[in-house]
Amino acid sequence: MPRWLNWAWLVPAAFLLTFLAYPLGVLGSHVVDPAGWTRLFASNTWHVVPLALAQALTSTVLAVIVGLPIANVVTRYRFRGRALAQAAVTVPFVLPTVVVALAFRSLLGPGVPQGFFLVVLAHAYVNLAVVVRIVGSNWAQHDPDYENTARTLGATRWAAFRTITLPMLRPAIASSASVVFVFSFTSLGIVLLLGDASTRTLESQILRQTSVLLDFPGAAATAVVQLVLVTAVLVAGMVASRRTARRRLRPIALRPLPASTAGRVAVIATAAFTFVVVAAPVAALVVTSFRAAGQWSLAWWTGVSSVDAGTSRIGSPLSALATSIGYALVCALVACVVGGLAAVAVLTHGRTRLISLLAIVPLGISSATLGLGTLLAFGRPPVDLRGSGLLVPIAHSLVAVPLVVAVVAPALLSADSRTMAVAATLGARPTRAFLTAYGAILRVVMLASAGLACAVSLGEFGAASFLARAGSPTVPVQIVRLLSRPGEQSYGIAAVLAVVLVALTLVLVLLVDRLGAGRPSSVTGAA
Amino acid sequence: MTGPRLATQSLSIGYLGRRVASDITLAVAPAEVVAIVGPSGSGKSTLLATIAGVVPALGGSVIIEGRDVTATAIHERGVGLVFQEPLLFPHLSVMDNVTYGLRRQRAPKDVAQARAIELLDWLGLEGYGPRNVEELSGGQAQRVALARALAPRPAVLLLDEPFSALDSDLRQRLAGDVARMLRHEGVSAIHVTHDLAEATDMSDRVIAFADFAHSADRLQGGSLR
Repeated sequence: MPRWLNWAWLVPAAFLLTFLAYPLGVLGSHVVDPAGWTRLFASNTWHVVPLALAQALTSTVLAVIVGLPIANVVTRYRFRGRALAQAAVTVPFVLPTVVVALAFRSLLGPGVPQGFFLVVLAHAYVNLAVVVRIVGSNWAQHDPDYENTARTLGATRWAAFRTITLPMLRPAIASSASVVFVFSFTSLGIVLLLGDASTRTLESQILRQTSVLLDFPGAAATAVVQLVLVTAVLVAGMVASRRTARRRLRPIALRPLPASTAGRVAVIATAAFTFVVVAAPVAALVVTSFRAAGQWSLAWWTGVSSVDAGTSRIGSPLSALATSIGYALVCALVACVVGGLAAVAVLTHGRTRLISLLAIVPLGISSATLGLGTLLAFGRPPVDLRGSGLLVPIAHSLVAVPLVVAVVAPALLSADSRTMAVAATLGARPTRAFLTAYGAILRVVMLASAGLACAVSLGEFGAASFLARAGSPTVPVQIVRLLSRPGEQSYGIAAVLAVVLVALTLVLVLLVDRLGAGRPSSVTGAA
Repeated sequence: MTGPRLATQSLSIGYLGRRVASDITLAVAPAEVVAIVGPSGSGKSTLLATIAGVVPALGGSVIIEGRDVTATAIHERGVGLVFQEPLLFPHLSVMDNVTYGLRRQRAPKDVAQARAIELLDWLGLEGYGPRNVEELSGGQAQRVALARALAPRPAVLLLDEPFSALDSDLRQRLAGDVARMLRHEGVSAIHVTHDLAEATDMSDRVIAFADFAHSADRLQGGSLR
């Protein structure tokens, strides 16, 4: 190893200390302010907690109920289009939440009133991938002879599923459910766009306390309450998933379609249902962007560069796009440097467990908490970075860094370190030897990481809603602002922006997936 | 009962659309233990899976107690199956594993438990009922698997190399115990193994798989591997 690599950890450590620990510390200092807690107890924040719990619980149950049959079909049976169905399930998860919200509005129209039902539906849609991925990977290794044994003992197909398969999948289900619960509990974009008074989350409460009531101590106290609840759920999920009974696993091998006609129809119907469910909201969104005054039109698309939609406070949609892309590139650069060096540090110090720990960090610290902390630390005198345009990309890189580490570290660990020794014996200096061994892998995974970081930044709404300046919103912030104003034009332009965001995100995710496909630890699997 | 407990008539077997063997005709009398020996990969396990209904028959029929069950669902065939690995349900106790089949038949709890205790005692596992299956050794686990398969009194018990995962010393002891158990229960059984000594020790009759099964020409399938 080149000597300088021993110090690689300094950069990520300094970055996290400055932009994560310090803001959280500042947030913490506000928490000490008893006024915040007094106001918290007096305010209606406590009414929000049970509402958010009920909403998140319902969303989780729905995601699990819909996700289980899909996981069963797309990870276990061999049929044409299976890989595509499996990839399709991932799409809602990578779409920006604001886009998903708008897509659901477009799909269901004004017929379905905003509120609990719509929010739960959108949350289940987004989180389907979590259930399918986590439970599916477990289910794929499940030995079907357990069920066969139960069947020979007189269990019907349903009884075998209920008494054997389901309990054996329980740890995986619990683990995925805890993640879905946390995502739904800390949801912001979907709640703002699809919810009503009954679906408020602590996250939206923090935003309200900060931007409407200007009650920073109260918001900080709310953030702490949320952090405690979220941590408790995640820990419970981890404990439940650890309690995995020892059992025989089999190598992942797809099985042929069931012999019975009913079985075949069930599998094919589930696969078809998957495509329809995933595609319908996105298709509705695209259609909306081409409909004006009840007929097909390019009005919204041609208007993106010129329209300032009547008020000077909202810039042109195109300028928001430019802002977002700029932020995404800065975020990618920062996240790749910081995350890449962190991964190298994992390699040199061998702290593999650190990876899994790091990957959970953005889950535990919600984007509103992150946004609020950053705002309090760097958004006011004496350190006011708001004018620099750096706050948003920095907050975004905090979300992206753990993902970059999760992609890069396993790839580096999978490379054969002996290549470095061989290069060294052939006369290569340490740095040259390191690059000989890891250079090729690094080029691929860093590109994949950059794509991932860009996708994260383009779609992120929570932190940006705190940090983006009024004059230069990011695309998701712009979409929310447009939708808060009446008129078909605002809606149409928002749909155009959302479609562009969908296209950009899908291109990036496809790129990441392609780059990751060649690697032993698939990028999408890690992300 | 006079006729055979289990019979196959011109049975063709295979999996994943590939025929492994055909024209298998076989009869097992009540309380008879038949051993089928043959090299691994010859299709012995597929035969058992086909009789149990885990794999559909490609042709011919399976008859259990005079009833054609070729199209009958697995859980209605009355067949017990023990695999190479015990495959105990990891989330259930030893007792709940053994009573699983009786509970599916809605047997009263005390009846089911009495039956389980009887079998466990017979197999040298007194007092193991409340234990977690993870605490069991390989041999103990396989005994529990056997008790679980026998508890609902299947018409036929199918043993798919049930001792091959154990070391030879333990294998011999367990084979002896199982043979006594099968006699005691008066159950008809097919015991598949590649160990000729084990086959002769345990069974009333030994059949070489190749003698009655016409192995399909593998080359015709298009794959030499």
